[in-house]
Amino acid sequence: MAGVSSPPPMDEKAKRTRDLLASFYTNTSNSNSAAPSSPSAASNLTPRSPSSLDSINSPSFDASSYMSLLVQKSNLEGLLQKHVQMAAEIKNLDTDLQMLVYENYNKFISATDTIKRMKSNILGMETNMEQLLAKITSVQSKSDSVNTSLFEKREHIEKLHRSRNLLRKVQFIYDLPSRLNKCIKAEAYADAVRFFTGAKPIFEAYGDSSFQECKRASEEAINTVIQNLQEKLYSDSEPIEARAEAVVLLKQLNFPVDNLKTSLLEKLEDCLLKLEDESKDVSVGEISKTFRAYLIIFPDSEQRLIELAQGLFSRRYDAVRYQLKKRMLSVDLLELLGIIWEDVTTVDQVLPEAALPAYSLESTCSSIRQHISIAFSHLQHEISDAVAGSQSKSNEGRDELDLHIVLENSKKAAMQGSLDLLVELRQFFDEKLELLPKLRELITDWVQEGFQEFFQNLEKHFILLSGSRTNNCPLGESNHSGVLTQSPDKLPTGLVLVLSQLAVFIEQSVIPKITEEIAASFSGGGVRVYEYGPAFIPGEICRLFRSAGEKLLHLYINMKTRKISVVSKKRFTTPNWIKHKEPREVHMFVDILLQELEGVKIEVKQILPCGVIKRHRNSDSVGSGSTNSSRSHPNAMREDKLTRSNTQRARSQFLESHLAKLFEQKMEIFTKVEYTQESVISTVIKLCLKSLQEFVRLQTLNRSGYQQIQLDMEFLKAPLKQLVDDDDAAIDFLLKEVNNAAHERCLDPILLEAPILDKLISAKLVKNKDLSASPL
Amino acid sequence: MIKLHLHFKSDKPAVLPLTSLRQASTASVSAKMQGASTGIVYGGLKYQARCIADVRADPDHTSFLAGTLSLKEENEVHLIRLSPSGNELLCEGLFYHQNEIWDLKSCPYDSRILSTVYTSGETYGASVWKIPEISSQSNSPQLDQLVSLDDHTAKIKSVLWCPLGKHDKLVTIDERNIFVWSIDSSNKIAKVISQESVGMLHNLSGGAWDPHDRNAVAAICDSSLECWDLRTMKNANAIEHAHIRDVDYNPKKQHILATAEDEFGIRLWDLRMPKIPLKELPGHSHWTWAVRHNPEYDGLILSAGTDSTVNLWQVSVGSEDSAIDSPRDKRSRQIDPLLNSYTDYEDSIYGIAWSSQDPSVFASLSYDGRVVVESVKPYIQRK
Repeated sequence: MAGVSSPPPMDEKAKRTRDLLASFYTNTSNSNSAAPSSPSAASNLTPRSPSSLDSINSPSFDASSYMSLLVQKSNLEGLLQKHVQMAAEIKNLDTDLQMLVYENYNKFISATDTIKRMKSNILGMETNMEQLLAKITSVQSKSDSVNTSLFEKREHIEKLHRSRNLLRKVQFIYDLPSRLNKCIKAEAYADAVRFFTGAKPIFEAYGDSSFQECKRASEEAINTVIQNLQEKLYSDSEPIEARAEAVVLLKQLNFPVDNLKTSLLEKLEDCLLKLEDESKDVSVGEISKTFRAYLIIFPDSEQRLIELAQGLFSRRYDAVRYQLKKRMLSVDLLELLGIIWEDVTTVDQVLPEAALPAYSLESTCSSIRQHISIAFSHLQHEISDAVAGSQSKSNEGRDELDLHIVLENSKKAAMQGSLDLLVELRQFFDEKLELLPKLRELITDWVQEGFQEFFQNLEKHFILLSGSRTNNCPLGESNHSGVLTQSPDKLPTGLVLVLSQLAVFIEQSVIPKITEEIAASFSGGGVRVYEYGPAFIPGEICRLFRSAGEKLLHLYINMKTRKISVVSKKRFTTPNWIKHKEPREVHMFVDILLQELEGVKIEVKQILPCGVIKRHRNSDSVGSGSTNSSRSHPNAMREDKLTRSNTQRARSQFLESHLAKLFEQKMEIFTKVEYTQESVISTVIKLCLKSLQEFVRLQTLNRSGYQQIQLDMEFLKAPLKQLVDDDDAAIDFLLKEVNNAAHERCLDPILLEAPILDKLISAKLVKNKDLSASPL
Repeated sequence: MIKLHLHFKSDKPAVLPLTSLRQASTASVSAKMQGASTGIVYGGLKYQARCIADVRADPDHTSFLAGTLSLKEENEVHLIRLSPSGNELLCEGLFYHQNEIWDLKSCPYDSRILSTVYTSGETYGASVWKIPEISSQSNSPQLDQLVSLDDHTAKIKSVLWCPLGKHDKLVTIDERNIFVWSIDSSNKIAKVISQESVGMLHNLSGGAWDPHDRNAVAAICDSSLECWDLRTMKNANAIEHAHIRDVDYNPKKQHILATAEDEFGIRLWDLRMPKIPLKELPGHSHWTWAVRHNPEYDGLILSAGTDSTVNLWQVSVGSEDSAIDSPRDKRSRQIDPLLNSYTDYEDSIYGIAWSSQDPSVFASLSYDGRVVVESVKPYIQRK
């Protein structure tokens, strides 16, 4: 009972009553159903725990066991207390029960009262209801009669109304043509179209029968409308909005607008094409306006317009590129590009989707690049023309071309040409064209690359000019008894020398200058990947040209010596040296040889500078221990060899000549060629004399043959020394070597007596003098 | 795994001594050669000389034959042998040869047989000789003449032995004709099998026998190189417009040959493309006289010139494997093909020969009669 009592609320009594009532009803229902669903019941059923014995409220409460437990557990005082508590609780319960009974009774009394009152009220209602029903039935019957009497009239009225509507529509259709005409007059085409489209379903349904006339008239009218609209569309003077409206209207009339569009666009295209032909009749401003108009008129035509615009500009850039093929100045190119760029910006405002600036930038790049490369190739042409062009002139006119002038011209062409080119290309930076600053780095790279390639190509071109052509020229046929006939495509040997000198000039003057200029105005250029370094590498180019110069110089010497070698070969292979006749005069081959050498001297004098005369070359070479000398062998080796050769026999001549050589001064034959007159001439002469020696070694001579060679060499001595100012010793040595060779190869080596030798030589000199004195 | 490892370990000591020995021996030789800086000199030739030939048929020794060119004295043929220690050149035999020798070849299959081309005054001739037994008492015995190749009507230039094994055929080239001989050395008989004249306009000066084709001989003409087919005796192929002094087939690659030329120094050709040379080498400061491929190391070329130098070149000629070579080509172009220039000579050099017994050794003969044997080992190893 204590568990049920809750903390006392304000209306304690009422609450307690309610609780009690509630507990009463629930408890009874619980015990009736006997279902142990309540948690208290469940807990009391199964475990017979002493605590469950406390719960008096549970149905399984066992009073006796509870009593015994209590008695067992509690002392007297506790029991007394329990007794008092229990007595109070019982009293409480008693009063509660009394109160419950009282209240229930009260309710019962009031309920009986209410039932009694209801019974008395219901009794009088029955008659009222019956009256109401009768009245309602009468109302209904009356209404039905009214309805039936009015039905016919209403039908009639409805029919009348329908026919009136129909008549109104018919009237509208009959009025349509005139209305349309009125609209046309007022140019209210929108209304006209609206009317016509409204009437259209009717015409479609009845056009062939009832409204034939009317349909025709209105269609005529609408055709005029269409025509007017088309005119409006085509006329450029109309406001764009009106034209756009016209298109919308035409579209509503199911007119094939696409045809119109294409025809208009074609017209535009023609117009654009004309623009190119007549260059500046129609301004791009107008074109761009048209673009805008069409864009508004035909919103779906954008793609086509973009194509048109791109086509227009690509054609214009093509035209520029075409013009580029002819050499044009940077300024002109810039002007052209500037104009196009302006146009591009104009059109771009209208048609940003066409991405014209990007395209234009690209095209500008490519055309500038092309321009640069063309400029370089032109420069190369100019230079090669300066060199080779003179050759064609010389072929027509004089035999001897002035090599000096050619050299100067080509030098000028190379130096001035490349400087001019730089100046011209620099204009790209001076010009205030909007898109150029973006390209500045690119242009710098291109110019640098251009120079790099230009010089590389130039070097290749030089080698090609000089080298490949000689490949195809068979040597033996180009020469007949000293009269040199030049095959037309072969570069004259002099020009090879010019090229060589030009290569040196480029290496020493042009490239430093260009490097300087590039550093001044074309430095930077960051677009290029830095791994590769700057595009223009002067060191590499210098190396290239240095080696080219040397190559060409050697080629020149080679060509010259080859010519002479051919003469010598003829001289030494033709006669039968074993049956040679006694020498009567100096052989004419000597004249040819000298003539050739003289030719070399003339060419060389024109082109190469005078060198510092080195009188003490031989002593120099000893110090440097040059390995190119023909007898640089240390004495020790020689002695070693002598002791080892266990010779017992007297090898008099052979040994003698060897010993003689041993004590002679060392002589360099194959020294490094320098870019001086002396060096080249002496190299040519040395090589020729060496060849003579080799030719002699291949022959077997009789005494006369030997003497003939002795005579020829003796004669050569003076003029050769004249040709070579500084290296008398070398000439002496080599001539002696030829004589030695002849001596070795002679069966009967007896020298010509000195007086006879002198006589024959002076006779030759006199003869030569006579020849040169006689009028040509 | 462990077993394998052990196997390797046990293998090593067996290999090591051999290689180390070899290394040691080569090191000592090369050290000697480098120390002397000139190679090994043989001074036994007392006259001028042009011809030196490798004795291919001698399998045990590095031997060379050299012939002198003396107009007035009796000439000699020297058999020179590199001593086993590799630092001395010994004269194994000295034989008298009446006339001056312009061409000398050693028989490729018999080390004691050789051929010479000689002149004496206006007369000329070519013979095949046999080296006599060395045991004889005489200091300078005569060579036994096996056959004399006598049918020539013009000046003989060159005798060629077939480089392909034992072959009884010989080719001789004179200024106007090419002869093919059949040699019977035991009976001392030589027969002309076929002969073809090149006409009066041409002037033959030498040639080479293709080591890959026993029927092909390249003959040097005035201004061309003609490749003769010995079966038909017809000129089958030609390199035109080339003034050639010497020609040598590449022994490793068919169709490839090198020429020493008047105008261009050295050029390498593929005979299938006779119009354009494969490569050009600058050659010598004066005439490039002779050019020889190394018999073993491909691309190693020796050239001799009248500027008293011998040049050693390294070139890669890719004809079949050009596609593979092309990227490397770029680099090799920058590398100087000239490996070394041997300059320690007194006079023009007309004769060079690789040793086929030790392909890293070559002999050179300068006009003053000095034979120098050099090893190219340092340059091969560098590669």
